[in-house]
Amino acid sequence: MDNPVLYAINSTFSTIAQSIQAVPGSGIAVNYIKNSYQNDPFRVVLELGLAIYAVKYMLSKKYRIDQNDVQLTEKEIDELIAEWQPEPLVQTLSDIQRMELEKTQVIIGAQGPKPKVQSSGKNLLNLASTNYLGYITNEDLKQTAIETLHKYGVGSCGPPGFYGTLDVHIELEKNIARYLGTESAIIYAQGFSTIASVISAFAKRGDIIVVDDGSNFAIQKGTQISRSNIKWFKHNDMADLERVLESIRVESLAHKKRPLTRRFIVTEGLFQNYGDIAPLNKIMELKHKYKYRVILDESNSFGVLGKTGRGLTELFNVPAKDVDMIVGSMANTLSAAGGFCAGPKEVVDHQRLSGQAFVFSASIPAMLTVCASEAINILSTPQGEKLLQSLQDNAATFRAVILGASQWIELSSVAGSPILHLRFPQAALTTAGVHTRDEEKMLLQEIVDEVAIKDGVLITRAKYVDRQEMHLPRVSIRVSICATHTKKEVEKAAQAVKTAFGKALSRRK
Amino acid sequence: MTLASMYKVDYVQVLDQHSQMNLNSSWVNDKGAWMTNVIIIIFIKFFFGIIPGITPELSWTLTTLTYNVGSYIMFHAVTGVPFELFSQGAYDGITLWEQIDGGVQFTATRKYLTTVPIVLFLLSTHYTHYAPFAFSINLLATVINLIAKLPSMHQVRLFDINQKVDTGL
Repeated sequence: MDNPVLYAINSTFSTIAQSIQAVPGSGIAVNYIKNSYQNDPFRVVLELGLAIYAVKYMLSKKYRIDQNDVQLTEKEIDELIAEWQPEPLVQTLSDIQRMELEKTQVIIGAQGPKPKVQSSGKNLLNLASTNYLGYITNEDLKQTAIETLHKYGVGSCGPPGFYGTLDVHIELEKNIARYLGTESAIIYAQGFSTIASVISAFAKRGDIIVVDDGSNFAIQKGTQISRSNIKWFKHNDMADLERVLESIRVESLAHKKRPLTRRFIVTEGLFQNYGDIAPLNKIMELKHKYKYRVILDESNSFGVLGKTGRGLTELFNVPAKDVDMIVGSMANTLSAAGGFCAGPKEVVDHQRLSGQAFVFSASIPAMLTVCASEAINILSTPQGEKLLQSLQDNAATFRAVILGASQWIELSSVAGSPILHLRFPQAALTTAGVHTRDEEKMLLQEIVDEVAIKDGVLITRAKYVDRQEMHLPRVSIRVSICATHTKKEVEKAAQAVKTAFGKALSRRK
Repeated sequence: MTLASMYKVDYVQVLDQHSQMNLNSSWVNDKGAWMTNVIIIIFIKFFFGIIPGITPELSWTLTTLTYNVGSYIMFHAVTGVPFELFSQGAYDGITLWEQIDGGVQFTATRKYLTTVPIVLFLLSTHYTHYAPFAFSINLLATVINLIAKLPSMHQVRLFDINQKVDTGL
């Protein structure tokens, strides 16, 4: 004990030992360590390692695993703040936006086949509304609406599941199912949200939807919110559809572990953006071959196509029961509001709890419901047949005139379609020196303005939210034919449009 | 953000995960759930302890083994959300451990759930008097459980376990 260093070390150790013993419960720990040594240093190292890991884990700071934010220094932050320029609250309008605002026609008074417009105060021949059968000005329907208004009032005061269902809603559902020949039907309060709601009620994450890339905006949004895997096939190209279905089949064979998925083919009856018709017979063939369900959007074709207006199924002589879901709009031809989905009972009942637009939206007002029902009834009467015939004749008349100018008007619509998309042929545009989409829009707007002022015809460009369209169609003028116009009026309007197209091109040359 | 990228399944899945509370994993943070963890271990030990013919050594080993296997199945083997009421597949292919606290590492719950098996292991080896066989079984079960909890194993799939089936075609 004469070495002071050794003495100091010894005393330190004994002090530590004493202080450890002083801590309550330390005896157990000391015992534990004494017991656990048992002449096995390797095991002790293992246990110590685990204990150290636990302590280290406890002391670690929390962090997000997917964090890939850029770490900035104080100086960099200051620099960025100094550089920052606030964006204007309201962006200055671009030329095309200003044109869009200035040239929009405003209708004064009631909508109809010949509405009065604000710009000139004149009545124009309406070729811009989806009032295909002229139901808007139908006196019988008006009378029915007034009577219903007196009986039921205006709104339905709630979603269908919460006191929003009226007897007339159920009657309309039955009427649609009876008219189309399906087992059952369900009505929605908004035409636009119907298809989106139907798609997302059935197709979920992991499911597969095969969609025509010429589909309208509502279908695109529906596929997007469904979170399914979306496959696009070329517009109305059945060979391409088969290629897509085949590639999915081959892929599925390769992935044996893939869970069972629901598969859908979604297409439109009468394409809003092209005016042509989906080849339903071929689609049904492929559906059966590859075992898919078909969701058919008949928003524009319902009440228009087929001998008695039953839509695409009637046109192709396909039983409506074979199409899994027929979705339609009552806001177009029927001049009411809302939409419907017709199909088997299970399909319809599923939507009563899972169709978002059905569950979370107030049901449609009684008078619109009754008008829609009445409008369907008219379709089956001689009056309806006459209207349909007149619509076909008017469409054919307009088409015939336009086809006479194929060198400067390109028509993507098929015969019998009341929607006519008129475009400049690409070659004509190139020679006229029109290259960008905006220039083309301006050129078409000139035509729209000219026929409105000179010939008293109201037409419109087809308008899209360009950035939101998956496959943006070329710009066009969309002419909607109405059954209640006379043949003469339609012919005159068609001539006016044809001349305006030619003039617009020649002005640029 | 282009429209095409909004159609990407992964992007939407992450969006959906953050859109609402994950009821499948939030309960793990409750203090009651922490307590239950300990109570369950005590019950398992008690259960094996009262079976006649089982030595205390064996009952400790079985307790560790059961706890580790059980928690492995619960936290690392089962994926997704069992009740598809709201999330609609937002957590498909993601284990419960990865769902806890939205994937944030070293949160209190994670620390607790990592420490419990270590303490249990130390206790059980102590009470099995360091029998080599029991020790190695306990160590193996604990280490596998701990490896699965490592931050570097987040959404990493080894040996085709829980392999996410690619539905993206």
